[in-house]
Amino acid sequence: MFKGKNNNSAEFNGGFNLLEAYPVRFCNIIEKVASDGAPETFAFSAPGQNVEHVIVNLCPTEPWSLPNWTILEHKTVVFLDKLKEIRSRYLSHAKFYLAISISEGDRIPVIKEYANRETWLEISVLDAKYPQDEPTMFAKVILGMDIGFGQDTSTQGILILDAQTISAIYESCIMGNNVDARFIAVSGSGLKENEIIHVQLGTTVEKILTDRVREAGKRRVFVNGPLRGREITDFSRKIDWSVNNIVVMEEKDYKILFPMFKSSELTQTTNLLGEKRQCVYCNFCDDICPVELEPALYYHSYRRGEKHRARFYNLERCIECGLCSFICPSKLELLQIIKECKNPDKNS
Amino acid sequence: MKKLLKPFEPILNKSLDGMESFIHSHKKAHFLFGALFGAFDGLLRNPKETTQTQPFLRNNYDVKRFMGAVLVALIFGWVLPATYFFGWQCVVTKLLVSFIIGVFVVDVLWAIIAREDHISEGGFVSCILIPAILPPQSPLWLVGLGAALAILFRNVLGGVGNNLVNPAIMSRLFLTICFPSLLVTGYQTPFVGMPDLHSFRYGLDAVTHATPLAAFKLSGETPSVLSLLLGTTNGSLGETCRLTLILSGLWLIKMKVVNWRIPVSYLGSVFILSVFFTLISGKSAAPPLFQLFSGGLILGAFFMATDPITATYNQTAKWIYGAGCGFITILIRNFTTLPEGVMYSILLMNLLAVPIQSFMVKIKYRT
Repeated sequence: MFKGKNNNSAEFNGGFNLLEAYPVRFCNIIEKVASDGAPETFAFSAPGQNVEHVIVNLCPTEPWSLPNWTILEHKTVVFLDKLKEIRSRYLSHAKFYLAISISEGDRIPVIKEYANRETWLEISVLDAKYPQDEPTMFAKVILGMDIGFGQDTSTQGILILDAQTISAIYESCIMGNNVDARFIAVSGSGLKENEIIHVQLGTTVEKILTDRVREAGKRRVFVNGPLRGREITDFSRKIDWSVNNIVVMEEKDYKILFPMFKSSELTQTTNLLGEKRQCVYCNFCDDICPVELEPALYYHSYRRGEKHRARFYNLERCIECGLCSFICPSKLELLQIIKECKNPDKNS
Repeated sequence: MKKLLKPFEPILNKSLDGMESFIHSHKKAHFLFGALFGAFDGLLRNPKETTQTQPFLRNNYDVKRFMGAVLVALIFGWVLPATYFFGWQCVVTKLLVSFIIGVFVVDVLWAIIAREDHISEGGFVSCILIPAILPPQSPLWLVGLGAALAILFRNVLGGVGNNLVNPAIMSRLFLTICFPSLLVTGYQTPFVGMPDLHSFRYGLDAVTHATPLAAFKLSGETPSVLSLLLGTTNGSLGETCRLTLILSGLWLIKMKVVNWRIPVSYLGSVFILSVFFTLISGKSAAPPLFQLFSGGLILGAFFMATDPITATYNQTAKWIYGAGCGFITILIRNFTTLPEGVMYSILLMNLLAVPIQSFMVKIKYRT
């Protein structure tokens, strides 16, 4: 029997609950943003026959990512019916797993009741600690499978879909409507207000951010979150379906007096929040690591100039979630070191 | 607090900025005061560096807070109880001497001579431990020498992050070798009762007595566990009140500054081995609870063996490390002429931590 069922506790050690540490509240009025040119449309190609497991991700672990309520609203059952329709049309032989965050409260009994009636659907209630929604972690916690990081999950027979993609597949493929817009969460300390917007695909980032950012101070823009996402400096970049959220953080590249009394002013900015020091072997990095690695070993191999040695310590299992760099009190760039050790020839 | 400081902020900020630019533009000033100013500035303001690589968000927890937590725990763990038991004059002067000589003289001079770019906050932790592991009546010059040696040892070995052995214990060993008579005498009897002005300043008037462990070696008598726990028996300045040491140690474990594996394995192995030896040799071996709560064991297990830099990094290896400390402590206490073995056990295991660490890594990753 499938072991993740009705399990209310997370099944991996480590991780970090970002939702509690950095609460982000969104304004619940959704504004529409139209692109200037002709919008691109959402396209879905039917998956091959080898898909055995479909994981529906209703478990966002980052506070700045798109919350479930924008898609589900109060119509959870309608959403599940859509899922059923998609399954019968494209993925009739696959087993569906619904990963839902434990904080969703009212929705869980509704979904559980639905899952009891349907044999193809299993529900896993998960603790929404980061990086639970990483494909590797989903496969490990829900399916008990070990898939490597960075691989295409569809080659292993696993398809991971989020709520928005499911409703887009339903709209475009089953209802035959044209889907050319998506919801995006826009948040961060550099904005006037945290918002959710409905953006036409192909809109530039610049257009979204004008009138939304605060005038004063420097800011930096990250697509898909500051932890796993990328920083963008070219604001003419267009929004495509892979953009889930945009985070604008204040730069704060100056000294602030008495930071101990002003922690709220400095959190969620790009400031390092501490001085760079040597490794003090505090074990924070291996306590927080979701895949049970010891990042300090890579740091010490790297510092001794033995990048190749780092690969002896299960380096390939690293899922690059960045929690080790996030937590390090000595502010070491552990993720950067791990990436360099993974490809010693490329960066040296 | 925030409102109270608000009017001073612009003036302070401006003067700090002025000093910073002066120091950076004058080579000699930078050479002499760069590190000192950096340390002072670092206490008041956060650094201006920003994240350049992924992840772009960092946690609000730095080494300063890490060391600060240890300092707070030690203040509640030994400084406040010792002030009650031995008088503030004894405690405060020793702390002042230790901090001034250790951090403000030796570390600052080292930073100037060795051209370090910063002064480490770890020096405060070593210097608050120095008076704690010396007898209450030890002369002030001994405390100063201890602090100077501790910081010097640490810096010679490469500073915080590279030290092989706990600097405070290393300096205690040095003092034990050089001034043996000063370290076996001067164990003042703690003051008990309602403090008046005189006792709050001086404690009891210079009544010295052998420590419980030394007394046990001589005559085999043991004080009650309660008196050991509360700190009414004599011993080094910071080791007597075990109750507060345990409480603040538990707080550090909760704050994740101290790894729980080391105190658990250290105290656990001491307990199990002493039960074993009392079963074998009867009354000639010290009883288990007396072993646990006597000497510097609690201070050592919670605050010195757990120093993350000198302990092993691997979590499984920490069990071996802690158990090794307990084993050596019991061996020294039961089978040698020395009454106390905590210092030697932690020093020996500090040295063994490196091979244990590499051995465990070899086993874990099969390299």
